[in-house]
This record gives sequence, structure tokens and C-alpha cells, in this order.
Amino acid sequence: MGRYIIRRLIQALPVLLGATFFIFAIVFALPGDPVAALAGDKRQDPNIVAIIRDQYHLNDPLLVQYWYYIKGIVLEGDFGKTFAGVPVTQLLAGKLQVTLNLALVALTLEAIIGVLLGLWAALRRGRATDTAILASTLLLISIPTLVSGFVLQLWLGVWLKQVTGTEFFPISGATQGLKSYLLPGFVLAGVSIAYLTRLTRTSLVETLRSDYIRTATAKGLSRRRVIGRHGLRNALIPMVTYLGADLGNLMGGAVITETIFNLPGIGLQLYNGVYLREQPIVVGIVTVLVLVYILANLVVDLMYAVLDPRIRYE
Amino acid sequence: MKKTSLDTLPAEGGLGDEPLLAVDNLHVEFATRAGTVRAVNGVSYSLGPGETLAVLGESGSGKSVTAQAIMGILDMPPARIPKGEIRFRGTDLLKLSDEARTQVRGQRIAMIFQDALSALNPVFTVGWQISEMFRVHRGMSKRDAMIKAVELMDRVRIPAAKQRVNDYPHQFSGGMRQRIMIAMSIALDPEVLIADEPTTALDVTVQAQIMELLAELQRESNMGMILITHDLGVVADVADKIAVMYAGRIVENAPVHDIYRNPAHPYTKGLLESIPRVDLKGQELYAIKGLPPNLLDMPTGCAFHPRCPYRQDNCVTDNPPLYEINGRRNSACHYWREVLDGDQG
Repeated sequence: MGRYIIRRLIQALPVLLGATFFIFAIVFALPGDPVAALAGDKRQDPNIVAIIRDQYHLNDPLLVQYWYYIKGIVLEGDFGKTFAGVPVTQLLAGKLQVTLNLALVALTLEAIIGVLLGLWAALRRGRATDTAILASTLLLISIPTLVSGFVLQLWLGVWLKQVTGTEFFPISGATQGLKSYLLPGFVLAGVSIAYLTRLTRTSLVETLRSDYIRTATAKGLSRRRVIGRHGLRNALIPMVTYLGADLGNLMGGAVITETIFNLPGIGLQLYNGVYLREQPIVVGIVTVLVLVYILANLVVDLMYAVLDPRIRYE
Repeated sequence: MKKTSLDTLPAEGGLGDEPLLAVDNLHVEFATRAGTVRAVNGVSYSLGPGETLAVLGESGSGKSVTAQAIMGILDMPPARIPKGEIRFRGTDLLKLSDEARTQVRGQRIAMIFQDALSALNPVFTVGWQISEMFRVHRGMSKRDAMIKAVELMDRVRIPAAKQRVNDYPHQFSGGMRQRIMIAMSIALDPEVLIADEPTTALDVTVQAQIMELLAELQRESNMGMILITHDLGVVADVADKIAVMYAGRIVENAPVHDIYRNPAHPYTKGLLESIPRVDLKGQELYAIKGLPPNLLDMPTGCAFHPRCPYRQDNCVTDNPPLYEINGRRNSACHYWREVLDGDQG
């Protein structure tokens, strides 16, 4: 097991290098000049521009710039500075926490609602409940976050507060602890909830058709135990895979949700970074996201071995 | 319908005239998109303690469906039991409440399935799966139940049972897996054991071992056994009586030796003649012509008539009843006398 983890982490290195270089090159290729953007409309002193360009190695070729960047990360843990002089690591530290909170709240909501709805639909397969759940997941998949975010913000955030006089769901900022994350977490999880519901339903329906479920029934076990112990335990395998991989998606997909609910996370920061063409910020955030993807997938693969004894890693 | 509770189920012991298990005029049908499939059409058989009944027939003859109806593990819907009784110690299981039925299942009537790899749960250890019987039905602690599981694995002769109790099904060979399945089914000393093609998925040598084990366990506990198979070779050594099924009906039933010596139904005769024999080596093997009937579109009259060498005009129009030949055997053929004589009219 230990050797397997090490091997997987070593395999992750080229992925990490490739992803960062790719993003680095794309930001490099963007039209416009970052130093010029700094000054806005004001005229710039050519000498100062030259100094800044030299200081940030902006005159060097792409590969050399990338080399400096990687060297800084490996040797000093330095992800570079923003043009305002703030180290990227410092800038991201607090924001990463916000996004992680948001993603974890979303993942929890997704797991609870998705599994329960899927279970319900599977046990009522072919009946009205099943059809209703399937139809509503389709609706959920079809509505973009951009729409559901604003609509829920208006209904549950603004109107509900006006009607009841109590603020159940804050509409902006991350200052009220868990409460601040509930509504944005639900909006972010929306599409994933729909997918997980469908996956749970399919997985359970298929499991309940298998021979060992018939055996469990023949053993004289209650239906509750047959489904809860023998069925769910097997149906869980694809569900856990999906949930694990989805953590990365949720963190990467937080850009729109964070913008709508004004949450100071890396999504909002990424948006600003791209807008201002601040290479260190964009590449730094992408590196973090790639890392999250890789680790989440590793955890999923390890969970496999726990859930399914037929899989062993040597 | 009034549901009988479990309390009315007699305990072991005096049976009176009633057999241990009696299936009486059982009908099972499945609702499908193409129409109603009548999988079982009036099957009756009975089983006494210590007795082995072999139910013989090809795929789709209704032999497994009958067994699943006895166990109560048919998916209803799509399955439906419009008619018939399944009496266990005199009580009709079909009239029991779900809860009472669950109490019978596994504890008093147990079942072994064909493919032990898919019939065992892949994510639990074999010890866990066997001991579950004791934990759920006998309220034993995990540890005591596990000790019982090891005892059972010893009893079905799994080598090094103690070391292997925490292994998973996929870590065992096919024969060993079937032994685990058997251990699980006999855990609570059932009075009836239904074995649905228990050796079909196994090597020939292993088949013999499993059959031997089943026969031995049966002698020890005096349980009644229903052995479902399409393999006539398996049947001869262990069965007391045979019921041959075709298209959801019993076409012949008789003590095992009578059938082997002198079948009274053309279908049974065909089955016996299609067994490869050493003394006929080199000759072409006999095969029953044609295909089993489509259950959605059954032939008129006798379901076997399109394939029957004894066919007469009335076979196409009249479905034969189960004629009594003597006190011990029946045949559902208008011309059972000719079949017995071996005279192809």
C-alpha cells in the first residue's frame, strides 16, 4: 500500500509540471502587456518600465521564465509575487480556506441529498416517485449555476428575510460561519446532486438485481437489512468514486458561485487574476487545483481497496 | 385474504398424513411487455423428511421458478401466483404474512444456488456471511457466531477453516465456494434444503464431492432435499424420486429406479437416450429434435407434441392429464403404455 501511494505521487509530478507549464504558456500568450496594465491610462516612465520588466524576467523567453518560476517554488516555496508585491502564497492562504469550506459544504449537501434521493428513487423504481425524482434531476442539470444562483439568492436570501424577518441564508460574504456557506454550497452542488442521484439510483437498482441479493433474501433477512447491508455496501463503490472526483470539480467550479455570493475564495481571485493578467496568481491557483484533483483521485483509488476487497494494491 | 401467523406453523415432529412439504397445483406467471408468460402451470409434488426429490428439466421448464416460489424469493411483480398452495407442515406458505414468511426462509427452508461466486456477497468475508445467520436469527454475539461459522466450515470440510474464515469469496476455488454456500444454508438446521443446480458450475470431479457432501449432511440431519438439475447423471445416485418438468408442467414423476429402467413419457425417454454411454461409443448421440416451446406461445394440446416421436392426432388437440400408472408413478402422456413398452406407435 505504502509503495503504491509513493508510486502514484511520483506519477503525479509530470502531470503537475505539464499542467502548470500549459497554463503558464497560455497566460504568456495572452495579448496585452501586464506592466502597461498596472498603470492604467497614465503615461509610464520607460526607465521604470524597463526596471520592472527586468525584475520580473519579462524580457526572457517563455522557457527561461518558467524555469525561474519552478526554481522558486522548489527551492524557496516561493510561488512568486503579485504586481502589488504581495507573495502569492500569502494571498491564497486565506482564500483557499474559503473555497475549501464552500466545496466541502457543497460535497456534504451533495452526498446527503444525492444518496437519499437516489435511494428513494431506486426503491420506488418505475413508480411516480421515481419518475418525479428523475424529472427533477433533469431540471437541475439543465439550469446553469448563473441562473439558479441568482434566483435562490433572491428567493431564499432576500424574500424569505423580508417575509419572516429572520436572515436564514446570508446573500453575501463569508462572515457568518457555516450559515454563509449553505446557500452558495447548495447552488454549487446543484448539478452534482442531480448526477449523484441518478448514479445512486442506477447503481442500487443494478446491485439489487444481483445474485447475492437473492441469497441474502433467501437467508431470511429483513428487506431493510438486505438493502441496507448487502445492497448499499456494494452500490457504494461507484458513488464514492464520483464523490471523490467531484471535490476537484467543485473547487474549480466555484468561480461563478463565489462571484454571485461575493465569497472571497480562490475562484473570485482566479477571475481577477485572469482579468489583470497576473501570471503568478493564475498559475498558482491552477497548481493548487491540479494538486487537489490528484490527491482526491488518489484518495478515491485507496477507498476502492477499502470498499471492494477484490481490489488490492501492491 | 386472512394472513396466518407463524404461531400456527407446527414445530418439528408429528406430521400426521401431511408431507413435510407439499406443492399443490402451483401456477406462476410473469407479466412481460410481450404478454403473460405462464412459467409454472399446475405443478404438484411432495417431499418427506430425509427424502430427496430430483426435479429435472431443461432451462425454462419452470423448475427453478417453482423452487423460488417455495422460498418466496420471486420478484412480485412481475411474478404472480394466481393459483395453488405450498404447504409446509400443513400450513400454506402463500397465506402467511411477510414477516412469518421471513421466519421460515433460511431457518426452516434453505436454498443453495447454482453459481456460488455470484451468489456470495463479494464485499464481506465468508465468515461474516455464514455467521450472519446466527447473529440475525439467533441473536448471537459476533464472536460466538464466528466460532459457529468456523465449525460449519469444518463440517463442510473446508481445509484450514480457522485460517480461512476471514477470507473473501473470490479467494476460494469454485468447489470451496459451493461448500461455503452449503455451510450457510445448513447453518440453522433447516428441515427442507432446496439445491438449485448446485454442481452445474463445477468440474466433474468436484461435482461428485459436492453431491456426496450434500447426501452426507442429509443423512445426518434427516432434512428433505429438493435437487433441481438438468443433469441426469447427478440424479441417479442421490435421488429417491424424480419429477420431470417440461414447459411448466410435471410430465412424469416416479421413484428414481423406475424412471431409469423404464420411462413412461417420451420426453424422459429422450433425455435418457441423450446421455453419452461408453458402450455406444462411436455411434451418433441421440438428441430430442426441435426446441423447447416459447412460453408466450405454447403449442395446443400437449406442449411436447411438436417434438414427440409418439405423436397422434389427439396430442395436438387434447392436453393430457397426469395419468396414474400405478400407485407410485404418473405420466402426462396419452400413450404412456406405448412408451413403456418401447413401441413407437
